[in-house]
Amino acid sequence: MPTFLCTDPVVLNLWHPLAAIAETAPGRDHTTTLLEEQIAYALPPDGGARAWRQGAPQHPLPTLVRYGYLWTSLGTPPEDLFSIPEYDEPDRRNMNASTIGVHVSAPRAIENFLDMAHFPFVHTDVLGSEPHTEVVEYGVDVSAERDEVRATRCRMFQPKASASSADGAEVEYVYRVPHPYCSVLYKTSGDDPDRQDVIAVFLQPVDQEHVRAHLLLSVLDAAHEDKEIRNFQQSIFGQDKPILENQFPKRLPLDPRSETPIRADKSAVAYRRWLSGKGITYGVIPAGR
Amino acid sequence: MTSIQPGRAWHPVASSGDAVVRHVFQGRLLGRELAVWRADDGYVNVWENRCLHRGVRLSIAVNDGRELKCQYHGWRYSNRTAECTYIPAHPADAPARTICNRTFAVVERHGLVWTTLELDRPEDLPVLPDDGRPLALRPITVAAPAAQVVDALRSYDAGEDLRLAAEAELLLRFDRGTAPGLTILVQPSDATTSVVRGVLHGVAVVDRDRPPLDLLRLHNRALNRVRARVESDLGPLQAEQQEPELELLSEELAELPPLSRPGRSASLRVRVERKWPAGADVAGFALAPLAGHLPAAQPGAHVDVHLPNGCVRQYSVVNAPGEGDRYVLGVKREPDSQGGSSCLHDVVREGDVLAVSEPRNNFPLRRDAEHTLLVAGGIGATPLLAMAQTLAHHGLDHELHYFAQTEDHLAFRDRLATLGGSVRRHLGLDVAATKARLGEILAGYAPGRQVYLCGPGPMIEAAREVAAQCGWPVEKVHFEYFKNAQEIDKESSFEVALARSCLTVKVLAGQTILEAVREAGVAMPSSCEQGACGTCLARVIEGEPIHQDVYLNDAEKASGEAIMTCVSRSASPRLVLDL
Amino acid sequence: MITLYDYELSADCYQARLALAVLGLEYSRVDVEFYPGREHETEWFTELSPLQQLPVLCEEETTLYDAPAILVYLASRHDPTASWYPGGDPALAGQVTLWLGFSRALAGSAGAARLHESLGHLTDIDAARSRAHTLLRVLDEHLWFGEQEGRDWLCATDRPTIADLAAFPDVALSEEGGVSRIDYPAVRRWTDRVKRIDGFVAMSGIFPAGPVAA
Ligand code: FES
Ligand SMILES: [Fe+2]
Repeated sequence: MPTFLCTDPVVLNLWHPLAAIAETAPGRDHTTTLLEEQIAYALPPDGGARAWRQGAPQHPLPTLVRYGYLWTSLGTPPEDLFSIPEYDEPDRRNMNASTIGVHVSAPRAIENFLDMAHFPFVHTDVLGSEPHTEVVEYGVDVSAERDEVRATRCRMFQPKASASSADGAEVEYVYRVPHPYCSVLYKTSGDDPDRQDVIAVFLQPVDQEHVRAHLLLSVLDAAHEDKEIRNFQQSIFGQDKPILENQFPKRLPLDPRSETPIRADKSAVAYRRWLSGKGITYGVIPAGR
Repeated sequence: MTSIQPGRAWHPVASSGDAVVRHVFQGRLLGRELAVWRADDGYVNVWENRCLHRGVRLSIAVNDGRELKCQYHGWRYSNRTAECTYIPAHPADAPARTICNRTFAVVERHGLVWTTLELDRPEDLPVLPDDGRPLALRPITVAAPAAQVVDALRSYDAGEDLRLAAEAELLLRFDRGTAPGLTILVQPSDATTSVVRGVLHGVAVVDRDRPPLDLLRLHNRALNRVRARVESDLGPLQAEQQEPELELLSEELAELPPLSRPGRSASLRVRVERKWPAGADVAGFALAPLAGHLPAAQPGAHVDVHLPNGCVRQYSVVNAPGEGDRYVLGVKREPDSQGGSSCLHDVVREGDVLAVSEPRNNFPLRRDAEHTLLVAGGIGATPLLAMAQTLAHHGLDHELHYFAQTEDHLAFRDRLATLGGSVRRHLGLDVAATKARLGEILAGYAPGRQVYLCGPGPMIEAAREVAAQCGWPVEKVHFEYFKNAQEIDKESSFEVALARSCLTVKVLAGQTILEAVREAGVAMPSSCEQGACGTCLARVIEGEPIHQDVYLNDAEKASGEAIMTCVSRSASPRLVLDL
Repeated sequence: MITLYDYELSADCYQARLALAVLGLEYSRVDVEFYPGREHETEWFTELSPLQQLPVLCEEETTLYDAPAILVYLASRHDPTASWYPGGDPALAGQVTLWLGFSRALAGSAGAARLHESLGHLTDIDAARSRAHTLLRVLDEHLWFGEQEGRDWLCATDRPTIADLAAFPDVALSEEGGVSRIDYPAVRRWTDRVKRIDGFVAMSGIFPAGPVAA
């Protein structure tokens, strides 16, 4: 059994994203950092994907190509990744909006992704605007069978909800956290009010306080160029970045008394509890410490 | 991490000139980050650099002159006390007063801002020569531990004939001849960073606005030389800042005070700093703390005032946001006064000490409306004045309609003047004319509007009626009565089950639920004790209440989900409360 | 008509947007996706900007691809008061040029550190940060003495110049590259002043300042 700098068995056994396939030139080796380890990966020209610890190519790591990304694990991962059925619908446009490094822990970034109360202040005049600051009651449940946190009926007034919307509207979101470092959100599509755009964040834990955030878009949008859609998400994420980098402590404190939650933070409270229940220690400050 | 020697308790953390208004200075002491900011009233705040909500640095917050507004979710923290005054995600709620950021003691002296991380007031500031005009040098950050910096500074040579005359911990004094010339203090920022702060003494000032630049440059050069020497001895500059220690944070956050507070307690002692005629028959009172700070009052809040004659009365706090050094109250002389207003008017004088409760806000102001109407009658203007000042300060659209007998009857005209065009005066109207005018004001309801009413009972009644006719939904119409004019029936007797305390108590004829609950040993806050202020509210789980209060609106009463334990009773033999 | 070839998250592009905004100029934007599309390496863009540098500004016959050049051009052509680029005053013109050069040094250090941290660009990160700190020390000293002399801006005039606009972006974004500004209080005050310039626009990563005192 190899030893790693990360000693959290739960995290070692997870699938972690390494890179967007679209941004990985096939046929040559690339490197990245995962859980403080240098990992090399390649897309052989004849298909498939390979990953190994730098200097140990003779011991291949498990790989998976899903949702446009190459995933690997340092331990024994589950057979498959959580499912996003919408991704496979034929009329969707799937793309990586960006892979951006952020100086924060993965769980802090997940909480930010789940958070609507910051829209008027951080994404001013785009995803929210003062004085429309209220976060109305929404539903949160933790499904034992699917092992994921889900927040439903999340409503917010938005001046410009996506690249394809021109004026303001109340939008409804559903959030899923199917993986400790990954979250998926669904929001009413500007093109088809009966269907939903999907935006997911997959966090690659570089170390306990650094991530590479891979942003997946799976949208219904016939009017905009790929780069316009990506651009919109990049500027949104660029607004969150300085907030995340100014959060302290950078690891997520799991002790319920270490920060002050309000009702709007219900989903974050459930997420912290869910992490505690899993016994996660990497990227968090466990309770009782 | 090398440990830091805490050393003496008081340290300079900024120059006075660093803390300019409408700015947040980012400081560091003993490994802990500080947000240092000056409010428009001149007060310098030194706080933990961390929002209590989600840990975002407050040094990136907005200093609006009265409060800091966090960049992440817009929570607002008051000047002086660091209490959270508003949580935008829940505009209808008044934040619990206990949400309060960590503050540190501050003294501004010798051109420097001093603080201490010790909680109990520690020893005195170090004594510096005081010629009335200290001149702070440019602070120099050195990438070295404080002790090493002090070592290097002993041989400080700025080319003036300064000679080391005295030394204390992290402090060096140089004299010119026999006169004090320069004090150098070393601020231990963290284990590997220090700030050198110099104060020149006895500098002849030619022009008050023009500091002697040659002198400042001379010392800046000399201190830069010291820095270069220390840093080159130590090796390359450390690029990464050290993170403050986590343990410190979790420990003190665990010390958050408990949420429940006993009621009708007079926990604050205040001195009548000023008493003045604030309008016809209205006395204005400014109440200052005997020591320390007063808890911040949110707009709409009231305090209980315990009078020398034993009466307890509620008065709304007129303060504007961030006006934290006193409470301003307006007291109208009531002709049928039972000793409350007449005592305040006739007996209480400037310099007297009174006991007051902490401010309580049962009339909270939403700040998420596109337009807010404030409708005041007579002395009912007091909570609405606090609201208008808040809305004006936040740049939110509003109108304050003030009904009074004559111009002289308008209270706090100085404050009204600062509100400018948003104030509409309605003078000398009789009942019918008032009602007609209310019709004009309340016409044109649109979603995104809110109205707040305060004044004499009949006027509020009329306004609520008019609002309903104009299509205002009840949840958009907020009101506060001064008193409950209804006859309260106390004759029934019934049983009350307290679900959370697993207790059942009997409420006898002549007794209130509040009294019965307290007798059973369950703490319960209260204030007016006549069903007007909302402090003693309890949630009903089961049973059919008889309300008798003037706090809840009709929809809330019909739902039967809450009661005022000071006046409400039960129609069913048993009432189950969430207590 | 002015056209700006622009990428939202680029500090150099932001210099141009800032100048256009404070000068109150209308312009049309062409999105050039620096990442992930690498559009700046395409043939059509290289024709506009041989060094594949963003931003590019076009107006009539003029095409410019270097941020300081764009600032000098815009201010010289569109500012009738000549306060943003006081080219007619030899001393001030020299100072502006000095700080424009300084802004390039910031881009090569603080800016490079930011690209390293955000997008994984190859850089000697320790050297880049250390150089950025050296520059910030110089800037802090200059601005602190400026405050003592009653001068708010980089150049010796009572109005901001394009020098302030050029230096601001990489300073204000330095923390994304792991370069903290905690030790540069005069720099922090100056960034607040820049944010309060009439017409100021923010970008992702930079928060606007609060209201000024009445
Ligand atoms: S972190 Fe400050 S308001 Fe949420
Ligand atoms: Fe966000």
